[in-house]
Amino acid sequence: MIAIIRSEWLKMRTTAVPWVLAGIALIINGLLILVYFVGHGDGGGGGGNGGGNGSFGYPNYPHTTQQLRNLLGSGFAGYILALLLGVLCVTTEFRHKTVTTSLLVAPRRPQFIGGKLITSAILGAGLAVLMLVGTLLGGGLTLSVQGGSFSDLLRQVPAVAPGMILVFALFAILGVGVGAVLTNQVAAIIVSLGWFIILEGILVSLFHSLEKWLPTGAAAAASNLTRGMGSRFGLFNWWEGALLMLGYGLFFAALGSVILNQRDIS
Amino acid sequence: MPSAIEVHQLSKHFGSVRAVDDLSFEVTAGRVTGFLGPNGSGKTTTLRILLGLVASSAGTATFDGRRYVELDDPVRHVGAVLEATSFHPSRRAEDHLKSVAIGAGIPISRVDETLDLVGLGDVARRRVGKFSMGMRQRLQLATALLGDPEILILDEPSNGLDPQGIQWLRTFIRHQASLGHAVLVSSHLLSEMEETVDDVVIVSHGRLVLQTTLAELASQAGTRTGLRIRSPELARLMALLHAIPVAYRQLAHDMLVIDGATPEWFGPFAAQHQLVLYELIHERGSLEEVFLSLTHGFDAADPRQAVGQPVGAGWPGPAPMQAGPS
Repeated sequence: MIAIIRSEWLKMRTTAVPWVLAGIALIINGLLILVYFVGHGDGGGGGGNGGGNGSFGYPNYPHTTQQLRNLLGSGFAGYILALLLGVLCVTTEFRHKTVTTSLLVAPRRPQFIGGKLITSAILGAGLAVLMLVGTLLGGGLTLSVQGGSFSDLLRQVPAVAPGMILVFALFAILGVGVGAVLTNQVAAIIVSLGWFIILEGILVSLFHSLEKWLPTGAAAAASNLTRGMGSRFGLFNWWEGALLMLGYGLFFAALGSVILNQRDIS
Repeated sequence: MPSAIEVHQLSKHFGSVRAVDDLSFEVTAGRVTGFLGPNGSGKTTTLRILLGLVASSAGTATFDGRRYVELDDPVRHVGAVLEATSFHPSRRAEDHLKSVAIGAGIPISRVDETLDLVGLGDVARRRVGKFSMGMRQRLQLATALLGDPEILILDEPSNGLDPQGIQWLRTFIRHQASLGHAVLVSSHLLSEMEETVDDVVIVSHGRLVLQTTLAELASQAGTRTGLRIRSPELARLMALLHAIPVAYRQLAHDMLVIDGATPEWFGPFAAQHQLVLYELIHERGSLEEVFLSLTHGFDAADPRQAVGQPVGAGWPGPAPMQAGPS
């Protein structure tokens, strides 16, 4: 299995997919930091004055533990990239018909999907690390310029990073599951983005009690891994959420394996 | 000699279409077996079933008794070049091979070796999207050879190759057989395989027409003769031929072939009927003609012809010459 994972990693890194996604991740990072600081400057201090204190004597840059954690975790929205990473890891093989060669190397199809699950989970986690580092550097620099403390931000890493890394890995696994079921690349991307950007939001607004059962709710719960906030907004505990997310991913991956097992590759 | 590949009563149905129909044949180590039949005769489907890519409806296709998915290191035992396989266009040739080598536990040093072997050493770092059809075919061959397998399965491998490439491929295939490897190579042209194969497995409509050695097939071809006639009076000639039990085929508006006829018989016949002739050619049958008559003349409804009979017993081609000059 380790050989299959190493092979998958080589296949991934010799396409544009991970690099384009990493580039988008860093751009999103920058935008989110910008939005965060602009928003914070407006709301927190009623107009900053050159890095000093806001109108009520509070600094107009993030300084409380929660504010710093929110800043550090601002890249959380990049989970959609981890999802796409998983989707593309599978569907690229079908789009470019490389699946024939891959199945000659690993003829057992569940093993083929398994290799992609593990590889994508690792790369998804890597994407989270990249965004965390990006936020630390970009956010930390901006914070320092405004008179804040970089080391205060750094101190929040143990609280924020594990949950974010876990969630990104889980989304990548879910992506492989979706890609395994919908091997048509365009269809898989449209369905994934359609669900997470549009459908899930509509469902939650209509049936709020559903939220904790849906992937985003489960992922939000899982992101509380080390923040220790328990079940906020009626979500599951972090481990329950993580298991639910993993369950979604593995369910679709298993379904995809079963479908692939029946399918003739010609 | 044990069989390296054994296909036993294999069938594959796509809905109501029988792509492969109760097909059985064997491939022996150290020999090159040509898997021949017209396009759409089930060759590719059979090969894909062998490689575990397509599920069979019935029967088995095994390597030394084991299915492809049951092999421990499949890439080290079986190398395959398949049609409709592709490469990621932005991946470099050597990276494609490395991904296979790593996944199959083959030393990375084999990547450069096989690239040199197929003559792609100079373009190892080039992206496959920029490769010509022939280069892709060579890269597929390199992929098949990575694990130095003792069994090679090649589906129409000369597609896209230039004449030099085809010559190179022939030499290469013969060399593989001389190493004791089993080679199963499909083609819709027997003429392309004449210099390469030892054995032939001929299929049509998914069924076995015959399995024999090339030598036997050639000896049969040598005995098949025909007379090609070009005449402005073809209609009258055909009417005359109808009256006697000979088999003939019309090739063009002014040309036909009489199977098994000789000039010694036809000359006096033409004189007697005062036929105007433009051309009279005595043809010896070629392997290709035998192949065409086997695959086109094969009537799937006749159960006698479904089993692989040796050539000569129940010849399924057009009826041989029955009436002579006397």
